Amino acid sequence: MNIALDRSKLAKFQSTIALLILCIGLTILSDKFLTVDNGWNVLRQISVNICISVGMTLVVLTAGIDLSVGSILAFSGAVAAGLLKSGISFPGNDLFIGFTLLGTVLAGIATGSFLGFFNGWVITKFKVPPFVATLAMLTVARGFTMLWTKGYPISSLGTNFAYIGTGWFLGIPILVWIAVVVVIAAMIISNKTALGRYIYAIGGNENAAKLSGINIDKVKIIVYTLAGALAAIGGIMVTSRLDSAQPNAGMSYELDAIAAVVIGGTSLSGGRGTIIGTVLGAIIIGVLNNGLVLLDVSPFWQQVVKGMVILLAVMIDKANSKAE
Amino acid sequence: MKKLILALVLFASLTSCKKSEKAEEPKKIAIVVSTLNNPWFVFLAETAAKKAKELGYESKIFDSQNNTALESDHFENAISSGYDAILFNPTDAAGSVANATKAKEAGIPVFCMDREINSTDAATSQILSDSYSACVQLGKLFVDKLGKKGNYVELLGIVSDNNTWNRSKGFHSSVDNYPGLKMVAQQSADFDRNKAMEVMESILQAHPDIDGVFCGNDAMAMGAYQALVAANKADKVKVFGFDGAEDAINSIKEGKLTATAMQFPKIIAETAATYADDYFKGQKDFPKKLPIAVEVVTKENIDKYIAYGKK
Repeated sequence: MNIALDRSKLAKFQSTIALLILCIGLTILSDKFLTVDNGWNVLRQISVNICISVGMTLVVLTAGIDLSVGSILAFSGAVAAGLLKSGISFPGNDLFIGFTLLGTVLAGIATGSFLGFFNGWVITKFKVPPFVATLAMLTVARGFTMLWTKGYPISSLGTNFAYIGTGWFLGIPILVWIAVVVVIAAMIISNKTALGRYIYAIGGNENAAKLSGINIDKVKIIVYTLAGALAAIGGIMVTSRLDSAQPNAGMSYELDAIAAVVIGGTSLSGGRGTIIGTVLGAIIIGVLNNGLVLLDVSPFWQQVVKGMVILLAVMIDKANSKAE
Repeated sequence: MKKLILALVLFASLTSCKKSEKAEEPKKIAIVVSTLNNPWFVFLAETAAKKAKELGYESKIFDSQNNTALESDHFENAISSGYDAILFNPTDAAGSVANATKAKEAGIPVFCMDREINSTDAATSQILSDSYSACVQLGKLFVDKLGKKGNYVELLGIVSDNNTWNRSKGFHSSVDNYPGLKMVAQQSADFDRNKAMEVMESILQAHPDIDGVFCGNDAMAMGAYQALVAANKADKVKVFGFDGAEDAINSIKEGKLTATAMQFPKIIAETAATYADDYFKGQKDFPKKLPIAVEVVTKENIDKYIAYGKK
């Protein structure tokens, strides 16, 4: 128990140092980096990735993976936008169901949760490896998005809906509030509840967890459902921020989320890692994206740099766990 | 058994002869499009399908997902399942030549839409929309609107995409003649509205004083505009897009975006389908390349246009 605690502390420490070095470097290289405005920029930009990455962390802690979050994000956002804009009408009889703002948001989250639940159900009941099950969902949910939007963006969703993505509350952007609430909730779940302990136990040693009487299928289904729900929340955030549901929204967001999880020190083989580590990982990616643009680095080099950072993070992480 | 087969074959050959004379069974047209992940191409493919149906043909849309290898599969499938013509929006000018040649060798005419392939004889005809010269025009307007001096930002599309560079090069061939115009940042936003907004937010931190933004498509122009609104700079910065998408047309009407380049996917797709129809009816002589002019849309002439076309 003590060792596990030390390890997670070390992981936290390591991403904090990396972030500090990055920030100091960027502050020296650009006088535009360390400003209040730019700080809010970075935080607003990473809030979506934080929501998705938190869900991804829970999944990875059980030694799973969720490749479908980007597509689920797109579909949930499109469902919310479509319902808000045109409701549901049944051409046969004159029935029409309109949706309030809260109604559309809940419908979007329900959509994502259901797709996540489906992932979990397939993974546990049919023993499909998470990689394959969620890879299939990546395609299926993208296809649903195209069917729902017919390939065209759904735009002009009204000022109330746009307020989620552009508004401020108590001096802080609403997007950042959402991310903060998600992170605190996930920290409570992972540190203070039985569910959190089960998640770590399953990732640490699934057989041992099973023998100690944990309902593994139930825990996994909950985790994938949460990942789907969080992707949907991300979808509503993106849609509201752009005032438009784009059919190609969320493309390759799963990779950014996995990168945040990995940079944050969570082990892809499960059982080890923290929510706060992932948050740091997401901030590092956000700061890196921002900094590379501030410094006018060529788009070709940006991809190389981002890839190298991920690789470096994992190499350091491996070296650390070996040293122990 | 052998006799039966022989009889069947004879019967089949007779009936098929009869069919081709009377053309009872509708001919089939394959529409192979580079991607359906962008509304512009969805519109192109759907218009082609609609026109083919109007002309009395069956049609099916194939999505190459910007992948020349997948495109090759689609061609093989279309050839072996007996399609009679292919309306083709290539993924890559060089990489798609082999696919068009394959169809030609199988006796199936190929009509290219919007994008070109680097071959003079693989396609029966190419109906092209010239991104390069459209961006030359757009660049000239950019110079005028900015008064020949100022700082500007360019948002590129996907950097591995031909169109990204055709548009960028056309734009620069006009703008680079004016030393007073200085490009302070050139970044990629992958043709994506969200990415454009995020990249623009960061650029505005580094370069708060800019006068114009040139974007490789309308989705990025919309994203860049939103970032400018959030930074209270929308009034003084002129945003240029490309495509003629619905959101952009509405924004130009409302004075938000300054200009876009209207391509005419409807004309391109309908011409391609009509050419296929002419081909089936016996015409064999088509213009090798038919350029469809791209028009610059601003607030002054916006009343003539709707999304992806003229009123």
